[in-house]
Amino acid sequence: MSESKFKSSLFLGCIAPNRYPGIEAATIKTSKNLGVELVDLKGAGCCPAPGAFGSMDLLTWEALAARNICLSEQMGMNCTVVCNGCYKSLYDVNEKLKQNPAEKEKVNGILKLADMKFQGSIEVRHVAEQLYNDVGIKKIRDSVVQPLNGIKVGIHYGCHLLRPGRERNFPNAPSFGTELPRFLDEMVEALGARSMEYQNKMMCCGAGGGVRGYKKDFALDMTNEKLRNMQAVGVDCIVDVCPFCHLQFDLGQVEIKEKFGDVYNIPVLHYGQLLGLAQGLSPDELGLEAHQIKVDSLLDKIV
Amino acid sequence: MTEKKPNRVGVFICHCGTNIAGVIPIEELKAYAKTLPNVVHADNYTYMCSTPGQEKIRTAIKEQNLDAVVVAACSPRLHEPTFRKASAAGGLNMFIFEMANIREQSSWIHMKEPEKATQKAKDIIRMSVARASLLEPLDTKYIPVEKSIMVIGAGVAGIQASLEIADSGITTYLIEKEPSIGGNMSRLDKTFPTLDCSQCILTPKMVDVDRHPNIKTMTYCEVEKVDGYIGNFTVTVRKKARGVKEADCNGCGDCAAVCPVTKGNEFDLGLGPRKAIYVPFPQAVPLKYTVDFNSCIKCELCVKKCGDKNAIDLNMKDELVEIKVGTIVVAAGFDLYEIEKKEEWGYGRFDNVITGMQFERFINASGPTGGKLIRPSDGQKPHNVAFVLCAGSRDQDANPYCSRVCCMYSLKHAHQIMEKMPGVVPWLFYMDIRAFGKAYEEFYYRIQDEGAKFVRGRVSYIEEDPATKNLIVHAEDTLLGTPVTLEADVVVLASAIVPKATTELLRNKLTISRSPDKFLLEAHPKLNPFSTSTDGIFLAGCCQGPKDIPDTVAQAAGAAAAAQVPINQGKVALEPIAAKVSEELCAGCGICEAQCPYKAISMVSLADGKRRANVNDAMCKGCGTCGATCPGGAIKMQHFTTPQIVAQIDAFLLGGGQ
Repeated sequence: MSESKFKSSLFLGCIAPNRYPGIEAATIKTSKNLGVELVDLKGAGCCPAPGAFGSMDLLTWEALAARNICLSEQMGMNCTVVCNGCYKSLYDVNEKLKQNPAEKEKVNGILKLADMKFQGSIEVRHVAEQLYNDVGIKKIRDSVVQPLNGIKVGIHYGCHLLRPGRERNFPNAPSFGTELPRFLDEMVEALGARSMEYQNKMMCCGAGGGVRGYKKDFALDMTNEKLRNMQAVGVDCIVDVCPFCHLQFDLGQVEIKEKFGDVYNIPVLHYGQLLGLAQGLSPDELGLEAHQIKVDSLLDKIV
Repeated sequence: MTEKKPNRVGVFICHCGTNIAGVIPIEELKAYAKTLPNVVHADNYTYMCSTPGQEKIRTAIKEQNLDAVVVAACSPRLHEPTFRKASAAGGLNMFIFEMANIREQSSWIHMKEPEKATQKAKDIIRMSVARASLLEPLDTKYIPVEKSIMVIGAGVAGIQASLEIADSGITTYLIEKEPSIGGNMSRLDKTFPTLDCSQCILTPKMVDVDRHPNIKTMTYCEVEKVDGYIGNFTVTVRKKARGVKEADCNGCGDCAAVCPVTKGNEFDLGLGPRKAIYVPFPQAVPLKYTVDFNSCIKCELCVKKCGDKNAIDLNMKDELVEIKVGTIVVAAGFDLYEIEKKEEWGYGRFDNVITGMQFERFINASGPTGGKLIRPSDGQKPHNVAFVLCAGSRDQDANPYCSRVCCMYSLKHAHQIMEKMPGVVPWLFYMDIRAFGKAYEEFYYRIQDEGAKFVRGRVSYIEEDPATKNLIVHAEDTLLGTPVTLEADVVVLASAIVPKATTELLRNKLTISRSPDKFLLEAHPKLNPFSTSTDGIFLAGCCQGPKDIPDTVAQAAGAAAAAQVPINQGKVALEPIAAKVSEELCAGCGICEAQCPYKAISMVSLADGKRRANVNDAMCKGCGTCGATCPGGAIKMQHFTTPQIVAQIDAFLLGGGQ
């Protein structure tokens, strides 16, 4: 049991490996420093995107997600994800098929084409959940070698990690709720940073649910509002736990500058990358160079 | 057991209009019934429960010389008493009757597969006939009744019930756990839709209770234990140490004036202060002070101030008293849902988010602010006030039911704001406005005309501006299909009605049931909404489910009337369907005593030192648990004997008839 918590397969999804490889590198390295071994999930496909697939054809979405879960089941490991969208697909499908034998049978009918069978033998967890619940704040704090000097962080939880709240069987801890979560705030503050309260903190980044793909102006308008609110409280960086939110805040700032003329230049980090900086890893090791918005201003404040 | 000749059985099949006949061919059923063993007569009618239907039973018993009657119709819960009476009218012992439920158990649930429904109806009738052939006459016993009634809870429900009972000349014990009677209604300012003041209509009744010669009011008391059964309950009441001798206290209040301890007053939901020796509100009944021993520092300043009156005793201890009553009315009231659980609305986090009940205390002339609504954060007058309706009601994540009063009291709050504070705009965020009562819809129109703003949509979340402590309310206007944001000074959450946490403890003491929503369960939702599963215990008010004041008062009067029936009859009939212990076979192991859910079995020691189980007929419900657990087969369930049940099972498994 204890081993299963600290060794799991790593499902990367699409955006992290293709656009922000630093998220992958940072997650694997920082987790290792905390005693969590993340093993490549070989042969993994698209999660598939919950908004794009799930709203078109539920069964296809479930079957493709179940296929990824099956790969992890074959390794005999729980599955860790670094992306809220992947979490929505894999976690929700895993729970749904475990609880609904009729749906499981339908999905297994399709998986048979690939000689696979969903068993329901593993758990799907977000890396943030794994770090908070399994590793714990104390261990995270103990791993810090470069405290973050009270930098001001605008935290963005993202939607799919927390919603729909009714389907998130989070343990009954006040800071781990879905309406008023504090766990990411605690995790950021354990590194010596300050989590800033800002208006509409729980609002969507704008990208998810197919909005970015369908109507970019609309998506960027939402992002712009969040950026404005974070700037108003003077954040030094944005911290997310989802590559799609990450993309929307990072690349989005370039696009917002082009479309609306608003300039922010707020560095954007996945939690793994912030944790990496606090654990003394170099910006290079954490792939921060690949970001659209330069992180130099942040690094100056830390060192 | 001596072999007895099987009963001559008559079968009567009810069409129930088209409820049964629309699915199952009645003639086929009748022809089948005639072929069953021991059946000497079969008949049918559109409504067996009607006068002509019952007449058929009565006549056939005489003409066909029947020993037993089977009626194939609806659930015995509905009409078993009806047909037992019909059988008795024909001269039979009323317990030689069996009901075959072919409506709920066949025609209704199998209405889409009539052939299988017909087959199942035949099976049910065959089994009933097999049992009816072996039924034996039973005698109804009567027990005398204690001529007094206890009412638990002295809110408006308990007050109304007590007055009704006491006026008819019956001694009434009114038990209240708070220091004063009055309950939640005494907290309210005005009542919808007539806008008469709650105090003006309630306090005279409170005084009536206090003065009534037949009512013994016991405040600051709790029910500790309930023993006995209908007609003969013994209730142990804990008189909590009040610290003040009620007989000696004249309510002058000098003690509170010198008390150095200040605490939030529970009656004002913490909005106003009280002392460690206090009355919850100036109009309290009885007007006797109470010491809160949790906060009293025993400085004895109050004792010195009280002086020669000597009414205060800081060493007072709880006392237990036993009271014998014939019946009990439970009027335990309600609590508000802990709305802080809906974290998105920020109650408990944001100063200016309050509940509807707190609004009542603010707007109440005798409340902590003398009737002014203020922003709790800075005491200033608000400009925009938002109301969140269905707060914790009609919500799968909180309580699925409608609390039935929130729409109306929020409308009333809107009116009060517009009346008392011209220029202040009430914004009501609602899902539907449920204005179901007399003159309620008219009241809704009136509030619309007065200028209240209505937004149809649930509030998704509320944020606080840290600088101004104003609240930013986010919702969707579902009529316009657009997100809306409103900056409000105060947000009022119309928090749901839930049963009191203590009601569950009381329920276990009374051995009565609850429904899935945790409110106390009535005997029948329509036809017997104030009785319970335990004879002699009745329900009134919000402990049974959310209610407004008119419904509460009506139910309380109904419960009072029902509770008086056994008292006025002077005796109660006991259903003889009870467990019977065989003296020869009982080994006194006591397993049955532990299993009995109604505490009806006790172990008695005989002269020869042996123990034996003894069943109290008045308390036994005939559930059969003891009979099933008895390792020696010493307990016989009357009316459900082993041969009767075996015959029923045999009839099912072996078939029969054509």
